Amino acid sequence: MTKKITNNIRRLRFDADEMTQQMLADIVGVSRQTIVAIEKDKYSPSLEVAFKIANYFNVPLETVFQYN
Amino acid sequence: MSYKERSIWVSLAITLYIWFNYFSTIYWSAKDNSLTIENMQSALLTVVIMTIVLEILHHIVIAIIDNKNANYDEDERDKLISLKGSQIAYYILSFTTIIAVVHLLLFPVINKGLVNLLNLPNEYILMNIIIFGALLAETAKFSTQLFFYRRGF
Repeated sequence: MTKKITNNIRRLRFDADEMTQQMLADIVGVSRQTIVAIEKDKYSPSLEVAFKIANYFNVPLETVFQYN
Repeated sequence: MSYKERSIWVSLAITLYIWFNYFSTIYWSAKDNSLTIENMQSALLTVVIMTIVLEILHHIVIAIIDNKNANYDEDERDKLISLKGSQIAYYILSFTTIIAVVHLLLFPVINKGLVNLLNLPNEYILMNIIIFGALLAETAKFSTQLFFYRRGF
C-alpha cells in the first residue's frame, strides 16, 4: 500500500483564529495556491516550508505533517 | 487562477497565434509557388517583432488587471512546475533536432520531396523542421505547466 504525506494545516489555521490561507502564505513566503495544494495533499512542501509552518503554529513538525 | 497560471495561458495563446501565422504564410506561399528566401525571412522577422510586442503588451495588461500580484516572486512550487515543463520541452526539442539531422542524412529522397514542395534551399527546410520542433516544445512546456497548475501539482 502506498504511503502518502497528509497534514493538519486546515485545522491548525482554524484553531489560530480562523487564519486565512493568504495570511499563512504570506508568513511562509509562498503563494496562496501553494497553501491550497498542500492542504489538499496535492503538493508536499520542502523541509524549509514545512518547518516554517510548524514554527509558526509553534508545534512539532509531526503534528503538522504525517506519513501514513 | 493565479497570476502565474494566467500569464502562462496568455503566453500559450500568443505562441500559438504567432507561429500559426508563420506556418500558414509558409504553407500558402508554397502552394502558390511564391515562397522565396526573402518571404521566409520576412515572415521570421514578423514573428520576432510580434513576439516582442505581444509579450510586452501581455505583461502590461496582466499587471494592470492583477496589480496586487504584479511583483509576485516565484515560490518553490512554481519553480518545480516550471522545471517539469522545461524538461518535457527539452526532450521534444532534442528529439526533433535528431529527427531533422537523421532525416537529412538517411532519407535524401524524402528530403528532396520537401525541397521540391517548398521550393527552398535545403538549409531552410532543415531550419523549418527545427522551428516546428521548437513550437511543439514550447506548446508542450506551457501545456505541462498548465496541467500541473490545474491539478495542484
